[in-house]
Parts: sequence; structure tokens; C-alpha cells
Amino acid sequence: MLKPRWYKVINDLFGNKTRTLLIVLSMAVGLFAIGIILSARTILSEGLASSFAAIQPSSGTVRTLEPFDEDFLQAVRSMPEVQEADARRNISARVEVAPGEWKNITLFVIADYNDIRVNKVTSESGAWPPPEREILIERAALPVLGSNVGDVVRIKMPSDTQREMRIAGLAYDPAQLPAQFDSTPYGYISFKTLEWLGEPYGFNELQVIATHPEDKVWAQHVVNLVKDRAERSGYTIPLSMTAEPGQLPMDDILQGLLLLMGSLGILSLFLSVFLVINTVSALLAQQKRQIAVMKAIGGGSLQILGMYLVMVISYGILALLIAIPLGTLGARALSQMLATMFNFNLGTMEIPPQTMLTQIVIGLVLPVLASLFPFLVNLRISAAEAMSAYTIGKGRFGRNWIDRLLSGPNLWFTRKLSIRPLLLSIRNTFRSKGRLALTLITLTLASATFVSVFNVRSSLSSTVDDMIEWFNFDIMLTFDRSYRADKIQQEALNVPGITQTDVWIQLPARMVRSDGSESGMMYMFAPRIGDDALIRSPAISEGRWLIPEDDNAVVVPSALLQDEPELGLGKEIVLKIYGKEQSFRIVGTFVGSSFAAMIFADYDYLTQATNRVGEADALLVTTRAHDAASVEAESKALEEHFERMGLRVSMISTLPRERADAEAIFDAIVALLLVMAILLALVGGLGLMGTMSINVLERTREIGVLRAIGAPNRGVAQVFILEGITIGLLSWCMGSLLAIPMTQGLNAALGGATMGTPLTYSYSLPGLWLWLVVVLLLSAVASFIPARNASRLTVREVLAYE
Amino acid sequence: MIEQNIHSNTREARCKAAVRTGETHPLIDVRNVVKIYNSLAGSVTALQGIDLQVYAGEFLVVTGKSGSGKTTLVNMVTGLDRSTSGEIWVAGSPLHNFSMEKAAKLRGKTMGVVFQSFELLPTLTVLQNVMLPMDFARRYSLREQRQRAMQLLEQVDIAEHARKLPTALSGGQQQRLAVARAMANDPTILVADEPTGSLDSATATAVIDLFVDLVRQGRTILLVTHDKDVAKRGSRTVTLADGEVIGVEEREGTHA
Repeated sequence: MLKPRWYKVINDLFGNKTRTLLIVLSMAVGLFAIGIILSARTILSEGLASSFAAIQPSSGTVRTLEPFDEDFLQAVRSMPEVQEADARRNISARVEVAPGEWKNITLFVIADYNDIRVNKVTSESGAWPPPEREILIERAALPVLGSNVGDVVRIKMPSDTQREMRIAGLAYDPAQLPAQFDSTPYGYISFKTLEWLGEPYGFNELQVIATHPEDKVWAQHVVNLVKDRAERSGYTIPLSMTAEPGQLPMDDILQGLLLLMGSLGILSLFLSVFLVINTVSALLAQQKRQIAVMKAIGGGSLQILGMYLVMVISYGILALLIAIPLGTLGARALSQMLATMFNFNLGTMEIPPQTMLTQIVIGLVLPVLASLFPFLVNLRISAAEAMSAYTIGKGRFGRNWIDRLLSGPNLWFTRKLSIRPLLLSIRNTFRSKGRLALTLITLTLASATFVSVFNVRSSLSSTVDDMIEWFNFDIMLTFDRSYRADKIQQEALNVPGITQTDVWIQLPARMVRSDGSESGMMYMFAPRIGDDALIRSPAISEGRWLIPEDDNAVVVPSALLQDEPELGLGKEIVLKIYGKEQSFRIVGTFVGSSFAAMIFADYDYLTQATNRVGEADALLVTTRAHDAASVEAESKALEEHFERMGLRVSMISTLPRERADAEAIFDAIVALLLVMAILLALVGGLGLMGTMSINVLERTREIGVLRAIGAPNRGVAQVFILEGITIGLLSWCMGSLLAIPMTQGLNAALGGATMGTPLTYSYSLPGLWLWLVVVLLLSAVASFIPARNASRLTVREVLAYE
Repeated sequence: MIEQNIHSNTREARCKAAVRTGETHPLIDVRNVVKIYNSLAGSVTALQGIDLQVYAGEFLVVTGKSGSGKTTLVNMVTGLDRSTSGEIWVAGSPLHNFSMEKAAKLRGKTMGVVFQSFELLPTLTVLQNVMLPMDFARRYSLREQRQRAMQLLEQVDIAEHARKLPTALSGGQQQRLAVARAMANDPTILVADEPTGSLDSATATAVIDLFVDLVRQGRTILLVTHDKDVAKRGSRTVTLADGEVIGVEEREGTHA
């Protein structure tokens, strides 16, 4: 048999099911949010690391212009600095995705699919290795291709040979940038198939693992050694890259996402903390009279405190029983969604013990701490005061400046208006200021986070706008080799619908550091500078864009300055171009990611410096109509025209496609942000509902008094709904202000992780209005339901309510 | 109509009560107690230097009009509230010097309190409501608590409702339950604040009969009421007005 006091605890818990449900749900939703974020973060980080380790990632890649054979591969393997090396053929081809509509595709040809030593590709489903005259598609690339396993696709090789191949299965190749991010699918074929496609045997891509792959500087050195070896063997090296140790291609974006999740996790944590404090203090306020009665019949403070601690711990346990399994399910679903998006396999789906521990600490310890403060405050109040204060005289309205501000003389303009319920609601809102402060803190945090999430989404969109705003053209054609600039421009203008043309040259370069070491491969773009140029200034984060008077000026991505500390605005950068070192001056930095290092220089200067005056590698054109369909049609017409003229186009980009690709990179972040926004709306909303409902329950007697003096049920409900709406509106106002610095912080963190510079700040008004609607609806519903329930009781029952 | 034999609260009157009960020291000794409430409207003096002694075995009734300071006096005597100045001695203990916590323990041991609105705990059964003060006082084993609670419920004639929740009882039954709860730790003093204020006259009479029985069994009762008929049942009636004692009426024994 239990002691009577524990019966009170049990009966309080299960006797008032609505209250218990509200408290438990309020706590559970906060704990759920923490669980889902922290667990997903850990599952993703671990999955990423284990997936990456499983493929034997390369330290770097060296590509040759001329094909090489196994002998050269063996020679590289025998280098003492090289732990392992492997080779494959990498071919840019075209694939027909719809009748007459072609898309770029990267084909990989591997000698022995069952003995890949570096950047392992494995079978996902279907045939393995790729059968002769058939193709395997990377699993993430299938949606980009719009085909299914078993379908037949038409492939066009650079030599114009066209062949139809059946998709015999799916491969899994996490070392590649997931296809949806640059809209380029990957295919895997055998060397026999390559022969059938009319291409000669041979590799053109070396992938090496350095002896100390975790040391990036060493890895870079080894890649340079391999490159030098290849060059000494007579191969031309158009590209060599050093990978970030332990990182998948989209690591920057993923790290940004994980950082965002971490930030939101901390915010959810704060939110949950306030939600728990709020809920527990509301509960204690509601139990004030009973506590006083227990004191009156001899209950000691510690005894009564013990009872309430057990009660709040029980609420915590119930909340954890809901939050932990749901958080686990949610975290797994979210992790799976992101892993699919970033194309890697999750290792363990185990929920990390520290996440559960965090949830348990917040769910159990926090309510205990939260209940201590109001309980200690309660102890200072005499039992007599607590028992009398519980009735309609609750709160001490009228004692301070806020109350006086809301009193009669200052609201003279309301005298002739019929808004008594509104005045009562506003004054009621400020009656219990401690409770109001707690509710407002919780809701303001929820509001600010929700609005900030929408702001980050809007900032991402603005950043994409900034990133492509400087492209004043509609189509860009890249050629297999250089052509005379005036010739390709004239040919383009012969195609109907083309209104303006421009050219640039692009060449690979490597930065040479002061210690003589070389950076990874960079692309140097030299557009023409001037008023009629089709390349405007990209979004400049520091310094300025190029001007016609510039000689050796360059503009570099902001992320490069972070990666290379010796660089800076106004400082010199030494670039190795065609084997020759040349010095340039950094005049500006643009908002740019570090995963595609581009350096801009002046066309006239660079063509002179490299003895390529009058040449062009890429043609830029504007079209008469700028909609996606027209631009695509023009690009098709241009491609056909240049083919007829014998000019070999290797790649065509259109601005609508570029925008879609850029947005696709941020799609994952936007999707996650939306999930978070919904979660936060739920946390904030339930918190508000819980608090408002407890507020109304606490004032059930007051409802009786209002009805006793003749207030109709609707009038009573109106008073409480307006009070809820007042609180909702206050939190919305404060949250919308707090969202400004919060967004700046998130933008700086996310932009810093992905691009080395904060995202372009944008305040999302739709997000602000959406949250206003959500808050108003929740406030009204949260106040209405308990007020309506209370109004269904008879006046006698209500006045006797306990 | 009872004859209003008003005396001042003099040492003589106190001595008479002491001689009658055979006690020389009062169980409750209120000495020059002042209670001032501060509010926005200004300060209100609820008790203006009250002196009052209650001796063992007495059935003292404090009466007066609404706002005279009756409930404030009960709150002072039971330690539910603190006085602004003055001394309150209960069973030889200086209650005025006690912390809220110590006052609660003293109540648990020596005092039972009955309120006008019963103040029963709604989520505990009738039996558990009576057992709770014993649980807090840690005075009896769980088995003894149960047995004693049942005896007390039998004493107040509601034993058959032991397993019900208080809301299932009538007003009179709830007040009987409140009395049983007040008796739980076998206190020497029972303080009742308007115990019949929420009851009809027949039920009120029954509840007062219960108090009279308890006095006969040797309890000391301090009862606050504004009901003149109830006031007549006490062995001594003290009348308050504006926070001051304005009269004392003595009777021979309690009135059954």
C-alpha cells in the first residue's frame, strides 16, 4: 500500500487527463525536436564517414589528354609515395533524354569492376559488371536521366558515333557529385563496349591514394609528383585535383546542413527548456491552493516538494516515452532522406546514447529544476495568502507602470467604444507577469526561429540570384578546342533568334604558394570586360570587379582566401599557366564556393599573356526570347548549326538550366529547413496551446464569476481568445525582431560553411505572415477549447472548480 | 435572544477560565498582535493589538461582523500567516518566531484546522484525505494510519463513504470529513474558520454538535463564526469589531 501523498500524485496525474496530455505533449514535442535533430546529425556524420571510408577514397585525381595503359598505372603504383593507384577512362558524351533532347553524360570505363582499388564503385542492382554493349547507371543519376533499368538509351560519343544501349543495372559511386546537383548522369561501361562505341582503348584518369592520405599537404605533394611523372612520360595534364581528406564531393553543403541542424538543435533545446519551465510553473501555479492546504494540515516543504518533483518527473517520463521512439523514427527518416539526396549509404541507424541522454536530462532534470524556482517562490508566500490569492484576485494587477499604462486614464479613447472584453483581455494578459514572460520567451523563440528558417530559405534564393545575376547571356557553348573568336561569333549570329554574342577563354591554372608548393586545379576564366560584355560582375564580397584598365588583375572566390591564408585583397597571387608562373594582383573576391575554384581575369590581358590573342574557348549568346523553352530551342539550333559547320561543341549550358542546378544544390538545405520550420511550428504551437489551456483551466473560477454577472458563453470565450491572441501577437512582434540577428547568425554560419561568405541577407515576408496566421490560429484554438469546456459547466460547478 | 453579557477581556476573565479548566497556562496566548495588510489602496489594519487566551478544554467562539478580523486572527493563531507585531504562543511554543516550515510542523502535531470551504484534496478519497496529515506527521505506521482514519470517519458518521472522492459527499459530509482530517494527528487544539458558513442550518447544527462532542472529549476548540446561534454553543464568546476585542461572554460549560 502506498502512502496517501503518492495516491495524490497518481490521481493528479491520471485524474485530469486533459491537463496531463497537454503537459506531456508540450514537453514531448520539444524533446522530440531535440532527438530528431541530434540523432539525425550523428547518424548522418557517421554514415558519411563510414560510406566514405568503405570506398577507399582517392587523395587526388590526375587526368591526361592522351590515353595511357597498364604499364604507366603500374609505374605510378610503384612510386613509394603512392599507397594505391587505379585508372579508368572518363568520357564526356551525350545522352538522348527525350526525342531530339540531349544531355551531357559522363561515361566511366573500368578494366576490372571486381578489382577497383580506389574510389570503389559497387553494384546496387541488376547486372554486374556491365555486360557488353550495355550500360550501368549510377543510382542517383536515374531520376536525372528519366529512365528505368531495362530501358534503352541512345548515347552520342564525341566522335558523333551513336549507339543504343540497354540499362542493365545500377551502380553506386559515392565519390561522384550526386547527379542531381549538376544534372549530369554517370554511366559505367566495359572496354569492349567502348570499342563498340568507336573509341580506342586506354585510360585517361589516374586516381591515387597517398601514403598519408589524412595529410592534405602531403596528398597534394604526392598528386603533384604523379602529375610530374605523367608529364615526364609525355602526357599532357589538363586537370589534376587533390581531394579534401575524408570528404565526399558535397561535403561543404552537407557540413553546412549539419551545422544548420546543430544550430537549430540548440535553438530547439532552448525552446524545450522554456517550454518545460513554462509548463511546470503553470502546473505549480494551478496547484498553489492545494499546496497551501497541505501546508495547513502539517505538510512540510520537503514533503510537498518531493510530491511535486515525483509528479513532474512522471510527466517527464511520459513525455520521454513518446519523444524518444518518435524522435528515433523521425531521425531515421530524415537521415535516410538526406543520405538519398547526397547519395551515400547510412551505416548504423543506432540512435547515439548521448542524444538519448540529452533528452533524458532535459526531460527529467530540467522539469525538476524548473519546478524548484516556482516552488521556492511559493514557500515565501504564506498559506493564508496562497489560499485566498487563488480565487479571482489572482495576480497583482495594478502595481507597476505596465498596469498603470493599461489603466483607464491612458485608454481614454476607448471610453466610447464597445470593447470591454478587449480591455479585459489585454489587462488579463498582464496580470501574471512572470507567467506571461515565460510564455512570451518560449513563443518568441519559436517565432524567431520559424521566421529565421524562412529567412534563410529566402536568403539562399537571393544568393542563387546573386550567383547568376552576372550572367547576362542565355546560352554558353564550350568547344573541344579554341577557335577564332570573330568566326564563332559570326556563325552564331547567323542562327535566327540570336541577338548578341561574346567570348571568353578558359584555362587550367594552379596557384604557386610562397613555399613552392602548388594548389589543386583552378579554372581561370577571362571574359571580355566592358559595357557590351555579356559577363557582368558577379556578387562581389570584397574589393571590386575587373575594369578595362586592369592588366594583371584577378577576382577570386571568397572561399579561396579562407583556404589560402597567404592570399588577401590587394596581394599578389602567383598562377602557373601552361607551365609558366605569372603574377597577378587580387582586386576583389566574389561570393563563391570552394568546390569549384574559379578565377577571373581580363580577356585582353590574358590572351596576350598566353599568346592566344583573338582566340576563344567559349561562346556566350543572348536570345531574343528568354524563357526556358525558347532558350532550349535556340541552344539546340546553335548546336546543330555548329555541328554542320564542323565546329565541335563539347558542352552547352543554358541560363535556365544553370539556375535550376544552382537551386538544386540548395534544395537539400531548403527541404531540411522546411522540415525544421514545421517542427518548430509544432513545438511553438503546442507550447502555446499548452500554456494557454493551463491559463484558462487555472481561471475556471473566474469564468464562473463572469457568467454569474451575466456574461454569455460567447462573451466569456471572447475574453480568453482575445487574451491568447494578444500573447500570440506580442510574441510575433518580438520574434520578428529577434529573427533579424538570428537570421544573420544562421546566414553567416551556413554561407561560411558552403561558400566562405555569408548568404545574401533576405527577410522573408511570406514567412512572417505565415507565422502570424499560425500564431493567431493556435492562440485562438488554444484558448477557445478550454474556455468552451469551462463554459459548458454550470456556474455552481465552475465556482466550485478545483 | 441571548443576553449580551459583555465583559472586557480582562485578566479576571482569563483567570476564571483557568480556574474552570484547572490550567494555569493558556494553550493559545495571543499577546498584543497587530496585522497590517498593505495594498494599492493603502494600509489596512486587520488586527489592532489583540490579546486573547484560550485554555485547555475551552470551546472559544470568536464572532464579529464581516471584516472584523476573525479570519485574520485564525490565520495568526494557526501560523498560516505572520503577524505584523505581537506574540503568539501555542502549547508553549513561540509561533511568532517560527518559520513557515516550523509552523507547519507545529500544526501537524498540535493543531487541526477546519475551513469554511472544507479545502479537501479533490484527487484523494475520503479515507486518504484523513490519512494525509498522519502521513505528513509520520506519526503512525501505514496500517495504523488506515485504522485510525477509519475510526475517525466512524466518529463523524461517514465511514461508509471512505472510498469515495470528496466531491461525491454532501456539504455536511464534506465538513465532517474536514473535521475528521483535522483530528487525524490527535491534536490538542482544533481551529475552525466559519465551519458552518457553507452549510444549511440542519447540517450546521449537526457539525456544531460534533464540535461540542469533541470538547466533551477534552479537545480545545477555537471556532470563528458570524452566526449568533453557533456562537451561543461556545463556553466563551469573544466579539471582534474593526480588529479589536469589544466583548467577552462567558457561559457555564458548552451547550449541547
